[in-house]
Amino acid sequence: MTVGLPHLLTLSAMLFGIGLYGALSRKNAVHVMMSLELMANAVNLNLVAFSRFVTPEAMTGQFFAVFSMVVSAAEIGLGLGLVLAIYRRKRSVELDAMQELKG
Amino acid sequence: MSMGYVLLIPLLPALAFAVLAPMPRTVRTRLVPLAVGAVLGSLALSVAAFLAVWPGGHVGEPTWQGAVTIAHVGDRALSLGLALEPVSAIMLLVVAVVGAAVQVYSLGYMHREERIGWYYAALSLFTAAMLALVLSDNFLGLFMAWEVMGLCSYLLIGFWHEQEAPRLASIKAFLTTKVGDLGFMLALAVVYAEVGAFDFATVLHHDWSAGTATLVALLMLFGAMGKSAQFPLHVWLPDAMAGPTPASALIHAATMVAAGVFLVVRALPIFEASGVALTITLWVGLVTALLAGLLAMVQHDIKKVLAYSTISQLGFMFIALGAGGSTAALYHLVTHAYFKSLLFLGAGVIIHAAHTQDMREMGGLAKKLPVTSLAFASGSLALAGIVPFSGFWSKDEILTVLLHEHQYAAFGIALLAAFITAFYVARLWFRVFTAPTQQVGLHEGHRSMLAPMAVLAAITAVVGFFGPTLGEFLGHEIPWPALGTAAISTAAAVAGIAFGWWVYGRTTSVVNTQAIKQRFPHAYGVLTNKYYFDLTYGYFVVGGYTALARGLATFDGSIVDGVVNGAARLWRSLASVGWLFDGRVIDGAVNGAASAVRAAGARMRTLQTGSVRGYQTLVAGAVVLLVIWILVKGA
Amino acid sequence: MSQTLPTVAFYLLAFAALYGAISMMSTRNVVHATVWLLEVMLATAGIYLALGAEFLALVQVLVYAGAVAVLTLFTVMLTLRRREDAVRPFPVAWGSLAMAALFTGGVLLALNGFCSVPTGMPATAPGLEDFGRELFTTWMVPFEIASLVLLAALIGAVWWTGGDDR
Repeated sequence: MTVGLPHLLTLSAMLFGIGLYGALSRKNAVHVMMSLELMANAVNLNLVAFSRFVTPEAMTGQFFAVFSMVVSAAEIGLGLGLVLAIYRRKRSVELDAMQELKG
Repeated sequence: MSMGYVLLIPLLPALAFAVLAPMPRTVRTRLVPLAVGAVLGSLALSVAAFLAVWPGGHVGEPTWQGAVTIAHVGDRALSLGLALEPVSAIMLLVVAVVGAAVQVYSLGYMHREERIGWYYAALSLFTAAMLALVLSDNFLGLFMAWEVMGLCSYLLIGFWHEQEAPRLASIKAFLTTKVGDLGFMLALAVVYAEVGAFDFATVLHHDWSAGTATLVALLMLFGAMGKSAQFPLHVWLPDAMAGPTPASALIHAATMVAAGVFLVVRALPIFEASGVALTITLWVGLVTALLAGLLAMVQHDIKKVLAYSTISQLGFMFIALGAGGSTAALYHLVTHAYFKSLLFLGAGVIIHAAHTQDMREMGGLAKKLPVTSLAFASGSLALAGIVPFSGFWSKDEILTVLLHEHQYAAFGIALLAAFITAFYVARLWFRVFTAPTQQVGLHEGHRSMLAPMAVLAAITAVVGFFGPTLGEFLGHEIPWPALGTAAISTAAAVAGIAFGWWVYGRTTSVVNTQAIKQRFPHAYGVLTNKYYFDLTYGYFVVGGYTALARGLATFDGSIVDGVVNGAARLWRSLASVGWLFDGRVIDGAVNGAASAVRAAGARMRTLQTGSVRGYQTLVAGAVVLLVIWILVKGA
Repeated sequence: MSQTLPTVAFYLLAFAALYGAISMMSTRNVVHATVWLLEVMLATAGIYLALGAEFLALVQVLVYAGAVAVLTLFTVMLTLRRREDAVRPFPVAWGSLAMAALFTGGVLLALNGFCSVPTGMPATAPGLEDFGRELFTTWMVPFEIASLVLLAALIGAVWWTGGDDR
């Protein structure tokens, strides 16, 4: 039995689904950020797998994954910074406590 | 005979961690004996490995070596290997003995803790990392083990993370050592660029030019200073005492903080190729030994006295390294590991009995805790440097090296530091054990706590006599101390103890530090504020950053606001010209549009719930719909 | 000519990743969840290595295992005042679960539609050197922009988390 592209894509889809569940269901902002990271990770896995199987020479997917990592690193830095800033104001990191944007 | 069992030495505690860590809490608690068994197994194998090397082993000629290639990066193979040779054999014995003693001791010390299973898991991982560090045959493996130890240190300092102080202390320790680790990492990058390999044999036999060697050596020294809490990166170690005492004994007294010294011992040929780096190492050690010793004199917390004393003794090891005496440094590392972990374990019993860490509230414990006070006496005398306890021999060896290298200024400072050491040891002893009793109902520690202490005390009492044997094993001569040097150092130690007795032991009442404070207000203030180090870091690092933020805010206020206001003013003047053309028709149209928008807005605002989770669900729902649409379209 | 991934290694790593992700969602303790996230990231790095993406594997360990996990832990520690905040029961959110399951099921179904994808792995896998050369020639401009993005994020994060006087 060989491991091919479909196996990797299945793994990636399952990881993404688990991350999606976490992002939707968690109340703690830090936990939500972590779920988002899990989803980004699944996407990167997808990119690398496609790169290896479809464009092995140009490695396009790998470069995309690198830039995607840059973006998610920036995202987690800013996101956690925001969480800390909100914690300062509200002494809480609960998403349900953040309702200022209510129209 | 196959030597493959050497691999098991770090592997056994690592396996214990792997089994314990994923378990639920109740199972973990039941599995604690497994962790203890694993470390005892490591100890037995370490003894076997040591006997396989001794006698007959030679430095630089591994008795056993094994490597595994973990990955190919480009066309280079990255391999990690272990090698058993005299230096690693001695360190194995030290780490395994102290590690086993601490784990057995913790059975008694931590038995009421709810999360004892997690404590043992972290302790096992730490022991595995430290054993791997001393066995590693290359800088990369050493660095990886080094980082794992940093993580374990963080976890164990913050063990009681529901309290504020341990949590902040763990973050402080992690960040401060990380600053040093950055230096080590850069050093590795330079080594790889220069040599193209990481293993000790290749790197150390490389033909180093003085400039590159200085760069690498100084970067490595920086890493070692962070790990070994050398001035000015020492600020984390006293705070790290917020962790459990046995963990402090293992990590912050005997092994991890000594890893910096071990790194310099390993890399000493690079330091020697540089020359400048050696001198800097020497002075870092001297400054640390002296200043940390002075700080130990004014602490009231028994663990903090021991912490500053550890910093000071590590300074002694750096002094030896700076003078080129790697064997003397290793010797002091070994003796210090035994007697300082003994002192910490003793402090643990005292804290358990007295329910306080403040020495001002203790006194008269010698009668209440006879076994502990005997063991503590052995450790104290070794720390003070009284013959025949182990510290005397190794400290004398360092002083001998300094004299031999004609470092007379350094010799003087080291002697002064030795005097100070004896003084604060006496202060601690007289305050805790002989001052008038202040508490009732104290009781001696449990057997499982006293037995490891007895073992360590016995080692401390006799290990000094093996100095020449050790030197022969390491290929360097460790002579018996010359009578002159021994007399001078003993005189310094005795003078220190006598002075300590004169200040703290003589009177029948507890010494009033108020009197000393009033007589030397300035010096006392500087010392109790720890030379204002924490304040300085707080002011310059944190404060500088705040100042930058404030500057940005000013920029925002004056310039950006100015531009925005200017634009607004311009717009207003344009508008004042335009209002002439602003007739009834336009007004009507605008007002009508506005009320239409308002009506729409009133409907739309119900969508704007402000609930983050609501938005998330909306977005996710849209994505799911998109996927379904693709499915339908594609089919 | 095509080669295949080492099957056993792949299944082990995939199992590790999925197990870690599920544990991350089912643990009640947010600190444990961070550690499980770290485990998933390391398993993914292993898969990258098996796919011949050495650079990405290293970056994955450095960025995710090194920086992100530590950053998350710090945030957790700084924002926890009581132990009760860290440990609490999470009831299963059936609505979210249904949505995530719907999504995953949809994607997996869609995946079955793409049967034409190659299952064998092309033998050629350029090494680290080619990767570096490519990164600093073809992808030079995006690379520099990425560094600017990171700088902007750094300044932004410092600005947000900074002093109490704002």
